[in-house]
Amino acid sequence: MTRSERKNLLKGLAFISPWLIGFVAFTAIPIGLSAWYSLCDYPLLQAPLYRGLENYRDLWHDAVFWQVLRNTFYYASMALPAAMLVSLGFALLLNTPLRSQFVFRTIVFLPSLVPAVASAILWLWLYNPQHGLLNHLLACLHIPGPPWLASKAWAMPSLAFMSLWGVGNTVVIYLAGLQDVPREVYEAADLDGAGPWCRLWNVTVPMISPVIFYNLVMAIIGSMQVFTVPYNMTQGGPQRSTYFFTMYLYDNSFIFSKMGYASAMAWIQLLIVLGLTALAFWSSRKWVYYQGK
Amino acid sequence: MACRLQQVKRLLNLILLISLIVPAAALLLIGPRNAENLPPELAKDCVIVDYWEKWTGREAEMMNMIVDDFNRTVGRDKNIYVRYVSISGVDRKTMVATAAGVPPDLAGLFDGQLVQFAAQNALEPLENLATAHGITAATYKPVYWKGCTWHGHLWGLISTPMAMALHYNKLIFLKNAAALRQVGLDPTRAPATIDQLDRYAQVLTQYEPPLIAGPPRIKCSGYMPLEPGWYIDSASYFFGGSLVDVATSRLTFCTPANIAAYDWIRSYSARYTPLSISNFRSSVGAFDSPQNSFLTGRQVMEQQGPWMANTIFNQNSSMSQFLVPFALEQHLPRVIRPFNYQWHVAPFPCAVPGLDNVTFVGFDILVIPRGAAHPAQAFEFLAYVNRQDVMEKLCSLHCKNSPLASVSASFFRTHPNPFIEVFDTLAASPNAHGVPQLPIWPEIHAELSTATEAIYLLAESPADALRHAEAVCRRKLDHYREIDAARQAKQPNSQINRQPFAP
Amino acid sequence: MTTSRPNMLPYTHWSLATNLLHAPRFPSSFRSGHSTLLALLALVVISIGLLLPFAWMVSTSLKTTAQTTEDPPRWLPVPAVPQNYLTVLNHKKFCFLLYARNTLIVASLTVLGTTFSSALAAYGFSRIRFRGRSSLFAVMLATMMIPFPVTMVSLFNIFHFLGDRTGIQFLGTFRPLWIPAWFGSAFSIFLLRQFFMTIPDELSEAARIDGCSEFMIFRRIILPLARPALAVVALFTFMGTWNDFLGPLIYLQRPEQYTLALGLQTFQSQHGGTEWNLLMAASVLVLMPILMLFFLTQRTFIEGIATTGIKG
Repeated sequence: MTRSERKNLLKGLAFISPWLIGFVAFTAIPIGLSAWYSLCDYPLLQAPLYRGLENYRDLWHDAVFWQVLRNTFYYASMALPAAMLVSLGFALLLNTPLRSQFVFRTIVFLPSLVPAVASAILWLWLYNPQHGLLNHLLACLHIPGPPWLASKAWAMPSLAFMSLWGVGNTVVIYLAGLQDVPREVYEAADLDGAGPWCRLWNVTVPMISPVIFYNLVMAIIGSMQVFTVPYNMTQGGPQRSTYFFTMYLYDNSFIFSKMGYASAMAWIQLLIVLGLTALAFWSSRKWVYYQGK
Repeated sequence: MACRLQQVKRLLNLILLISLIVPAAALLLIGPRNAENLPPELAKDCVIVDYWEKWTGREAEMMNMIVDDFNRTVGRDKNIYVRYVSISGVDRKTMVATAAGVPPDLAGLFDGQLVQFAAQNALEPLENLATAHGITAATYKPVYWKGCTWHGHLWGLISTPMAMALHYNKLIFLKNAAALRQVGLDPTRAPATIDQLDRYAQVLTQYEPPLIAGPPRIKCSGYMPLEPGWYIDSASYFFGGSLVDVATSRLTFCTPANIAAYDWIRSYSARYTPLSISNFRSSVGAFDSPQNSFLTGRQVMEQQGPWMANTIFNQNSSMSQFLVPFALEQHLPRVIRPFNYQWHVAPFPCAVPGLDNVTFVGFDILVIPRGAAHPAQAFEFLAYVNRQDVMEKLCSLHCKNSPLASVSASFFRTHPNPFIEVFDTLAASPNAHGVPQLPIWPEIHAELSTATEAIYLLAESPADALRHAEAVCRRKLDHYREIDAARQAKQPNSQINRQPFAP
Repeated sequence: MTTSRPNMLPYTHWSLATNLLHAPRFPSSFRSGHSTLLALLALVVISIGLLLPFAWMVSTSLKTTAQTTEDPPRWLPVPAVPQNYLTVLNHKKFCFLLYARNTLIVASLTVLGTTFSSALAAYGFSRIRFRGRSSLFAVMLATMMIPFPVTMVSLFNIFHFLGDRTGIQFLGTFRPLWIPAWFGSAFSIFLLRQFFMTIPDELSEAARIDGCSEFMIFRRIILPLARPALAVVALFTFMGTWNDFLGPLIYLQRPEQYTLALGLQTFQSQHGGTEWNLLMAASVLVLMPILMLFFLTQRTFIEGIATTGIKG
């Protein structure tokens, strides 16, 4: 190492020292312990007992584990594209020059501030097969509405639809990305005679593709961690069709007292998310346009 | 113009900023402090017992009264102060704290969790302390004492119990007297067998045409296992079966009695169709509201516990004023009060001739976690709660029955539920059953619930669903035994003298 | 898997600078009046839909107990009962001011700690080239992906251990809630790092040549430019702490220490029925400070993430 390299190393470590100390003290040990617990039987109230890879083997043979994985991926396959499209659409709308934009922007952000319990009650009523608003509207069109959250086929799509109300954070980030697209690029496109759709597809999207990419990575991480909404609304039913990965993990940790098993699930979740993120990064070379690269 | 708008915006921002900062500063500087507010008259060497309870709202307040009573009387004499913390989710908090070795002195658990905690060596055995206070098996009704003990040790004492019975709407029975008599049923009595229950239900159920398309809607349901569906797991007891063989700790899901029980549940889904049932359930209001299905007469018979009296009195007292208005009915002699009611209580019928007074019991239990700082003082409070007068007061406040073997006449006389004797008889009956005592009961229960769901959604036949569930649960139980044996081998000086599981 | 740092074209820096110095400008000239009207219409429709949860909350908070259990429920409570808010403020068990003060203490300490330490760490991860930087950054990102339940017990044990060894009490106080914040939060570090990476290297280089120490560059040059991003981090952290339930549940021992999120449980009951109107009124009160904060920082907010250069 050259002298300047060593100086930089020291400077760098000095700056990240708060994080580093905190990492060692508060994060590394719990994470390391969770890796150890994943190799043990650990009922939480007794000491962990080393069992090798038994937990992972049991997970492989656990029908419920595969079901929750399927459910989570099914949900993500619906909620993720929908959220990306909807949030981008909202952001484009909120970017139009209007004086009352600050009101609309606050309104978009509002649902994420409503506590989960209140939200759950509202949506349980909206989806109520007898009295709910949704089936009421469908009845006006003479369509018998399905029992939504009580139906194996419709429960998951209902939850995915509900998740669209929480796009506020993503919209704000898109908004920021849109603001940062230089005026000159749009003006150049205008001069070339580009219509609005052409402008959107060929100018706006590439220019904010890094923002899209960032939101995609965050959404991947978030989709594996869905817990509060289905926990409050469906409790995993009907017939475990809305039983999510993190719900099963939570049940294993605290209800079934199988913290070792839950830790194994946590590490599998980590590997899956890392894998998907790596995939996203690899694919980013194809469609993410960093200015100047 | 735009300049004006900017000025207005800036002013608005300033106002917002001030209205945020000023109250925040005021709050921080002169707001209420979070110092501990122990009563000042406590002695210096007073022992503080931490009691964590999982209730919120009204139940929490009632227990708070009992805690205050204790602190004022026995606590003052013996220099003990019980610090009461009651919030939902406290079982998670208790688990984390106990795992870290800093448990509370007293914790409130559910009946289904007791054996799980006890098997993990997480609780202090209480039999010595209990005998010293004169609390023995004779103190409790047998089913409750059985529920608190496991493998020869006493693991906790009950705070409030419950028992389940059939609630039926006598007015609707009488209104349909002709139809009932036509099929040979007595409209003045409750059904005595499951078969009679089914026939009552069939006569009393009314339909109305669907709104648009599909199966007919249920206007009034005679009986439905899923409404409220809280005790659907106990159905096998009423058929003379049991899901777990307690003596050998073996799972017995697939016995003929159990299959008959789940066939019975299935029969209702087959008769009504799962869609109608689901529509019916979503069209009735919450339990604690005037739109409760039983209160509005849309459900004629259902399984409920003793608190139902409170719910009826609070939400629809007209059900208790047939002849005399509700305000005066409490002054009627207890023998006469039931005649004033639309609603009545009877033991839930059985399918096996000769089997009667079957019920399902549950309870909230107070335990002393292992490693608690003051177990002896904590037990003083436990003993206090289980004193006859105090227990009867608490159970009366919660509108529940008493777990004690001896019940005073005044408890029956002053209890808000005029049918409390029925619950008491049921709870004392030899055919009362609680949750199966298995160390991994929560896991097995989850598997069983899924199987039950498959059965009442007509997705699987009872035999198949139970067989599948039993296979899964048996694997889990075998796995548990294996690990338990490995643990015992590693730590042979474990403090519990436990008999090993039968193979 | 490491994030590569792109070279920014000069004009982006120029537009960046104009962003920072001027109010956000709308890409104005090319939008026609028609599409603006359509956009307005679409926005109004969407807003009505998005306002549903909040409107529901407020409407329930103004109902009487009887009205809350009505089936089908009504939207406009007549007569409205704004006294619910007074009931909540004077509630025997739910001591709003006490809980608000507790939450304010924890939230302020957490926000201060997170902002300060995350800025430091983000500076190290972005403005200083040193060996092992990308690996450490990857590790930091990975820590965001482990779910909390499995690390919760170990963290509790750590605080118990620290309490035993140092004699300072951790469990049963606010300390475990805000002390980890002073060691940085992965999300904030990530966000701030993205931002810092958009500030031109030339500024730092010039300062270094002038003989400034790294910390002075951090304090004098980078931090002022980063004010919007810092506001973002502060707001998100405040929101997270204000609504945190699990942390206070595990670490606090006495009702006098409860935060607002814990206190809201007072209105829920097992068999006795939840007092929905009071619960919603309390929730609205709890939500108000965050809403006001968001309103306040909205402009900085949008501007802030704009120049976070997430595209890096």
